[in-house]
Amino acid sequence: MEEKTMSEKESLELISSMIKKTQQNLENSNGRPFLIWGYTTVFVSLLVYFVVSKTNNYHYHLLWFLIPLIGITLMMLTRKKRDKKQHVVTFLAQAILKVWTVVGIAAMLVAVGSFFANIPILGIMLLLMGMGTMITGLLIRFNLIVISGIIGMLFSALPFVVQQMEQILIFGAIFLLIMVIPGHVLNYKSRKSHV
Amino acid sequence: MFKALDPLLHSELRLAVMSILISVEEADFVFIRGKTGASAGNLSVQIDKLSEAGYIEVNKGFKGKRPQTVCKITQKGIKAFEGYVNAIKSYLDVDKDN
Repeated sequence: MEEKTMSEKESLELISSMIKKTQQNLENSNGRPFLIWGYTTVFVSLLVYFVVSKTNNYHYHLLWFLIPLIGITLMMLTRKKRDKKQHVVTFLAQAILKVWTVVGIAAMLVAVGSFFANIPILGIMLLLMGMGTMITGLLIRFNLIVISGIIGMLFSALPFVVQQMEQILIFGAIFLLIMVIPGHVLNYKSRKSHV
Repeated sequence: MFKALDPLLHSELRLAVMSILISVEEADFVFIRGKTGASAGNLSVQIDKLSEAGYIEVNKGFKGKRPQTVCKITQKGIKAFEGYVNAIKSYLDVDKDN
Protein backbone atom coordinates (compact mmCIF):
# COMPACT_ATOMS: atom_id res chain seq x y z
CA MET A 1 0.00 0.00 0.00
CA GLU A 2 1.48 3.34 -1.03
CA GLU A 3 0.69 7.00 -0.75
CA LYS A 4 -1.30 7.73 -3.89
CA THR A 5 -4.21 9.92 -4.84
CA MET A 6 -7.56 8.24 -4.58
CA SER A 7 -10.96 9.07 -5.96
CA GLU A 8 -13.81 9.54 -3.47
CA LYS A 9 -15.26 6.17 -4.44
CA GLU A 10 -11.91 4.45 -3.93
CA SER A 11 -11.66 6.06 -0.51
CA LEU A 12 -15.02 4.70 0.60
CA GLU A 13 -14.19 1.27 -0.80
CA LEU A 14 -10.89 1.27 1.06
CA ILE A 15 -12.59 2.22 4.33
CA SER A 16 -15.24 -0.47 4.06
CA SER A 17 -12.78 -3.15 2.96
CA MET A 18 -10.38 -2.38 5.86
CA ILE A 19 -13.21 -2.44 8.40
CA LYS A 20 -14.44 -5.74 6.97
CA LYS A 21 -10.93 -7.22 6.97
CA THR A 22 -10.42 -6.17 10.58
CA GLN A 23 -13.70 -7.67 11.72
CA GLN A 24 -13.13 -10.98 9.93
CA ASN A 25 -10.37 -12.18 12.26
CA LEU A 26 -11.98 -10.85 15.35
CA GLU A 27 -15.38 -12.45 15.22
CA ASN A 28 -14.07 -15.86 16.08
CA SER A 29 -15.59 -15.82 19.56
CA ASN A 30 -13.95 -18.75 21.20
CA GLY A 31 -15.24 -20.97 23.94
CA ARG A 32 -11.89 -21.30 25.70
CA PRO A 33 -12.75 -19.13 28.75
CA PHE A 34 -16.00 -21.06 29.23
CA LEU A 35 -14.09 -24.35 29.03
CA ILE A 36 -11.38 -23.21 31.44
CA TRP A 37 -13.79 -21.93 34.11
CA GLY A 38 -16.33 -24.69 33.48
CA TYR A 39 -13.92 -27.63 33.76
CA THR A 40 -12.10 -26.00 36.71
CA THR A 41 -15.37 -25.58 38.61
CA VAL A 42 -16.52 -29.12 37.84
CA PHE A 43 -13.15 -30.51 38.97
CA VAL A 44 -13.02 -28.45 42.19
CA SER A 45 -16.68 -29.26 43.03
CA LEU A 46 -15.93 -32.99 42.80
CA LEU A 47 -12.74 -32.53 44.82
CA VAL A 48 -14.54 -30.61 47.60
CA TYR A 49 -17.38 -33.12 47.63
CA PHE A 50 -15.13 -36.15 48.01
CA VAL A 51 -12.65 -34.62 50.46
CA VAL A 52 -15.33 -33.12 52.73
CA SER A 53 -17.53 -36.22 52.69
CA LYS A 54 -14.52 -38.49 53.44
CA THR A 55 -13.04 -36.37 56.22
CA ASN A 56 -16.11 -34.54 57.55
CA ASN A 57 -13.73 -31.62 58.00
CA TYR A 58 -15.44 -28.46 56.79
CA HIS A 59 -12.15 -26.59 56.62
CA TYR A 60 -11.65 -28.31 53.28
CA HIS A 61 -14.24 -25.92 51.86
CA LEU A 62 -11.22 -23.65 51.49
CA LEU A 63 -10.46 -25.80 48.43
CA TRP A 64 -13.08 -23.70 46.60
CA PHE A 65 -10.41 -21.02 46.32
CA LEU A 66 -8.63 -23.34 43.89
CA ILE A 67 -11.19 -22.18 41.29
CA PRO A 68 -9.83 -18.62 40.91
CA LEU A 69 -6.28 -19.88 41.36
CA ILE A 70 -6.45 -22.53 38.62
CA GLY A 71 -8.79 -20.47 36.41
CA ILE A 72 -6.70 -17.29 36.39
CA THR A 73 -3.47 -19.29 35.85
CA LEU A 74 -4.93 -21.17 32.87
CA MET A 75 -6.39 -17.96 31.41
CA MET A 76 -3.00 -16.26 31.62
CA LEU A 77 -1.17 -19.21 30.12
CA THR A 78 -3.51 -19.54 27.14
CA ARG A 79 -3.59 -15.76 26.62
CA LYS A 80 0.21 -15.52 26.46
CA LYS A 81 0.33 -18.17 23.77
CA ARG A 82 -2.27 -16.40 21.64
CA ASP A 83 -0.95 -12.86 22.04
CA LYS A 84 2.60 -13.64 20.97
CA LYS A 85 1.78 -13.02 17.33
CA GLN A 86 -0.20 -9.78 17.40
CA HIS A 87 -2.16 -7.59 19.72
CA VAL A 88 -5.60 -6.23 19.03
CA VAL A 89 -8.42 -5.38 21.41
CA THR A 90 -11.98 -5.00 20.20
CA PHE A 91 -14.79 -3.09 21.89
CA LEU A 92 -16.67 -6.38 22.32
CA ALA A 93 -13.73 -8.15 23.98
CA GLN A 94 -13.28 -5.14 26.24
CA ALA A 95 -16.96 -5.17 27.23
CA ILE A 96 -16.92 -8.91 27.97
CA LEU A 97 -13.74 -8.53 30.02
CA LYS A 98 -15.36 -5.77 32.09
CA VAL A 99 -18.51 -7.81 32.70
CA TRP A 100 -16.46 -10.77 33.98
CA THR A 101 -14.20 -8.53 36.05
CA VAL A 102 -17.29 -7.25 37.88
CA VAL A 103 -18.70 -10.79 38.23
CA GLY A 104 -15.32 -12.06 39.44
CA ILE A 105 -14.95 -9.31 42.06
CA ALA A 106 -18.51 -9.91 43.27
CA ALA A 107 -17.85 -13.66 43.50
CA MET A 108 -14.66 -13.13 45.53
CA LEU A 109 -16.44 -10.71 47.89
CA VAL A 110 -19.26 -13.21 48.43
CA ALA A 111 -16.73 -16.00 49.03
CA VAL A 112 -14.88 -13.92 51.64
CA GLY A 113 -18.21 -12.79 53.15
CA SER A 114 -19.23 -16.42 53.62
CA PHE A 115 -16.55 -16.73 56.35
CA PHE A 116 -18.39 -14.17 58.43
CA ALA A 117 -22.02 -14.86 57.66
CA ASN A 118 -24.11 -17.90 56.87
CA ILE A 119 -25.10 -17.18 53.29
CA PRO A 120 -26.34 -19.53 50.53
CA ILE A 121 -23.04 -19.16 48.70
CA LEU A 122 -23.52 -21.73 45.92
CA GLY A 123 -26.85 -20.15 44.98
CA ILE A 124 -25.35 -16.66 44.89
CA MET A 125 -22.45 -17.95 42.77
CA LEU A 126 -24.89 -19.51 40.31
CA LEU A 127 -26.84 -16.25 40.14
CA LEU A 128 -23.65 -14.25 39.46
CA MET A 129 -22.22 -16.70 36.93
CA GLY A 130 -25.62 -17.02 35.25
CA MET A 131 -25.81 -13.24 34.89
CA GLY A 132 -22.28 -13.03 33.47
CA THR A 133 -23.00 -15.89 31.08
CA MET A 134 -26.28 -14.39 29.88
CA ILE A 135 -24.75 -10.93 29.29
CA THR A 136 -21.87 -12.56 27.36
CA GLY A 137 -24.36 -14.54 25.28
CA LEU A 138 -26.31 -11.39 24.47
CA LEU A 139 -23.13 -9.50 23.54
CA ILE A 140 -21.79 -12.20 21.22
CA ARG A 141 -25.34 -12.97 20.01
CA PHE A 142 -25.16 -16.67 20.79
CA ASN A 143 -28.46 -18.02 22.05
CA LEU A 144 -27.11 -21.19 23.64
CA ILE A 145 -24.97 -19.05 25.97
CA VAL A 146 -27.99 -16.83 26.75
CA ILE A 147 -30.06 -19.90 27.66
CA SER A 148 -27.17 -21.28 29.73
CA GLY A 149 -27.13 -18.03 31.69
CA ILE A 150 -30.85 -18.28 32.37
CA ILE A 151 -30.46 -21.90 33.54
CA GLY A 152 -27.65 -20.79 35.86
CA MET A 153 -29.84 -18.07 37.35
CA LEU A 154 -32.79 -20.46 37.72
CA PHE A 155 -30.66 -22.91 39.70
CA SER A 156 -29.65 -20.20 42.14
CA ALA A 157 -32.55 -21.50 44.23
CA LEU A 158 -30.53 -24.70 44.70
CA PRO A 159 -29.50 -24.15 48.35
CA PHE A 160 -33.14 -23.82 49.36
CA VAL A 161 -34.22 -27.17 47.93
CA VAL A 162 -31.22 -29.52 48.19
CA GLN A 163 -29.11 -30.75 51.13
CA GLN A 164 -25.70 -29.19 51.59
CA MET A 165 -23.42 -31.99 50.32
CA GLU A 166 -25.65 -32.81 47.35
CA GLN A 167 -25.69 -29.14 46.47
CA ILE A 168 -21.98 -29.39 45.67
CA LEU A 169 -22.46 -32.20 43.17
CA ILE A 170 -25.39 -30.45 41.49
CA PHE A 171 -23.38 -27.22 41.43
CA GLY A 172 -20.64 -29.02 39.46
CA ALA A 173 -23.20 -30.60 37.14
CA ILE A 174 -24.78 -27.20 36.40
CA PHE A 175 -21.40 -25.79 35.42
CA LEU A 176 -20.96 -28.71 33.07
CA LEU A 177 -24.30 -27.77 31.55
CA ILE A 178 -23.94 -23.98 31.42
CA MET A 179 -20.23 -23.56 30.66
CA VAL A 180 -18.52 -26.73 29.43
CA ILE A 181 -21.12 -27.81 26.87
CA PRO A 182 -21.74 -24.28 25.41
CA GLY A 183 -17.96 -23.74 25.37
CA HIS A 184 -17.46 -26.81 23.19
CA VAL A 185 -20.39 -25.84 20.94
CA LEU A 186 -18.99 -22.31 20.57
CA ASN A 187 -15.57 -23.67 19.62
CA TYR A 188 -17.11 -26.10 17.16
CA LYS A 189 -19.17 -23.35 15.48
CA SER A 190 -16.19 -20.99 15.41
CA ARG A 191 -13.98 -23.64 13.78
CA LYS A 192 -16.71 -24.50 11.29
CA SER A 193 -17.20 -20.88 10.24
CA HIS A 194 -13.46 -20.46 9.60
CA VAL A 195 -13.00 -23.53 7.40
CA MET B 1 -20.63 23.41 -1.78
CA PHE B 2 -17.83 20.83 -1.52
CA LYS B 3 -16.34 20.13 1.86
CA ALA B 4 -12.54 20.08 1.73
CA LEU B 5 -11.01 16.62 2.14
CA ASP B 6 -8.59 16.31 5.04
CA PRO B 7 -5.23 15.87 3.24
CA LEU B 8 -3.89 13.85 6.14
CA LEU B 9 -6.58 11.25 5.69
CA HIS B 10 -6.78 11.39 1.92
CA SER B 11 -3.87 9.03 1.53
CA GLU B 12 -4.27 5.30 0.98
CA LEU B 13 -2.17 3.97 3.84
CA ARG B 14 -3.12 6.56 6.45
CA LEU B 15 -6.81 6.08 5.63
CA ALA B 16 -6.38 2.31 5.90
CA VAL B 17 -4.74 2.68 9.32
CA MET B 18 -7.54 4.95 10.53
CA SER B 19 -10.20 2.54 9.19
CA ILE B 20 -8.65 -0.29 11.17
CA LEU B 21 -8.33 1.74 14.35
CA ILE B 22 -11.89 3.08 14.15
CA SER B 23 -13.20 -0.48 14.34
CA VAL B 24 -11.15 -1.68 17.33
CA GLU B 25 -10.25 -0.45 20.78
CA GLU B 26 -6.51 -0.70 20.06
CA ALA B 27 -4.17 -2.62 17.77
CA ASP B 28 -0.44 -3.09 17.53
CA PHE B 29 1.95 -2.44 14.65
CA VAL B 30 2.10 -6.14 13.68
CA PHE B 31 -1.69 -6.37 13.36
CA ILE B 32 -1.96 -3.14 11.32
CA ARG B 33 0.91 -4.19 9.08
CA GLY B 34 -0.73 -7.56 8.47
CA LYS B 35 -4.04 -5.97 7.52
CA THR B 36 -2.61 -3.21 5.29
CA GLY B 37 0.22 -5.22 3.73
CA ALA B 38 2.42 -2.12 3.96
CA SER B 39 6.19 -2.13 4.45
CA ALA B 40 7.36 -1.56 8.02
CA GLY B 41 9.21 1.64 7.10
CA ASN B 42 6.33 3.24 5.26
CA LEU B 43 3.80 2.25 7.90
CA SER B 44 6.01 3.65 10.64
CA VAL B 45 6.26 7.02 8.84
CA GLN B 46 2.49 7.23 8.30
CA ILE B 47 1.74 6.26 11.90
CA ASP B 48 4.07 9.04 13.07
CA LYS B 49 2.21 11.55 10.86
CA LEU B 50 -1.17 10.51 12.29
CA SER B 51 0.23 10.63 15.79
CA GLU B 52 1.75 14.11 15.28
CA ALA B 53 -1.66 15.34 14.11
CA GLY B 54 -3.20 13.94 17.30
CA TYR B 55 -5.42 11.53 15.37
CA ILE B 56 -3.97 8.47 17.05
CA GLU B 57 -2.19 7.71 20.29
CA VAL B 58 0.95 5.60 20.04
CA ASN B 59 2.39 3.73 23.00
CA LYS B 60 5.76 2.13 22.55
CA GLY B 61 6.68 -0.54 25.05
CA PHE B 62 7.74 -4.11 25.40
CA LYS B 63 5.81 -7.34 25.49
CA GLY B 64 8.19 -9.78 27.11
CA LYS B 65 11.42 -9.17 25.26
CA ARG B 66 9.80 -7.96 22.04
CA PRO B 67 9.21 -4.27 21.37
CA GLN B 68 5.53 -3.47 20.87
CA THR B 69 3.87 -0.37 19.39
CA VAL B 70 0.21 -0.10 20.29
CA CYS B 71 -1.99 2.41 18.44
CA LYS B 72 -5.35 3.76 19.50
CA ILE B 73 -7.59 6.30 17.78
CA THR B 74 -8.22 9.54 19.71
CA GLN B 75 -11.42 11.62 19.95
CA LYS B 76 -9.81 14.10 17.55
CA GLY B 77 -9.10 11.22 15.18
CA ILE B 78 -12.69 9.96 15.35
CA LYS B 79 -14.01 13.45 14.58
CA ALA B 80 -11.57 13.85 11.68
CA PHE B 81 -12.53 10.44 10.30
CA GLU B 82 -16.24 11.25 10.54
CA GLY B 83 -15.62 14.60 8.85
CA TYR B 84 -13.69 12.88 6.07
CA VAL B 85 -16.44 10.31 5.45
CA ASN B 86 -19.10 13.05 5.43
CA ALA B 87 -17.05 15.09 2.96
CA ILE B 88 -16.68 12.09 0.66
CA LYS B 89 -20.40 11.40 0.90
CA SER B 90 -21.14 14.99 -0.16
CA TYR B 91 -18.92 14.52 -3.24
CA LEU B 92 -20.62 11.25 -4.14
CA ASP B 93 -24.11 12.71 -3.62
CA VAL B 94 -23.30 15.49 -6.08
CA ASP B 95 -22.06 12.89 -8.58
CA LYS B 96 -25.32 11.01 -8.17
CA ASP B 97 -27.39 14.18 -8.72
CA ASN B 98 -25.60 14.99 -11.98
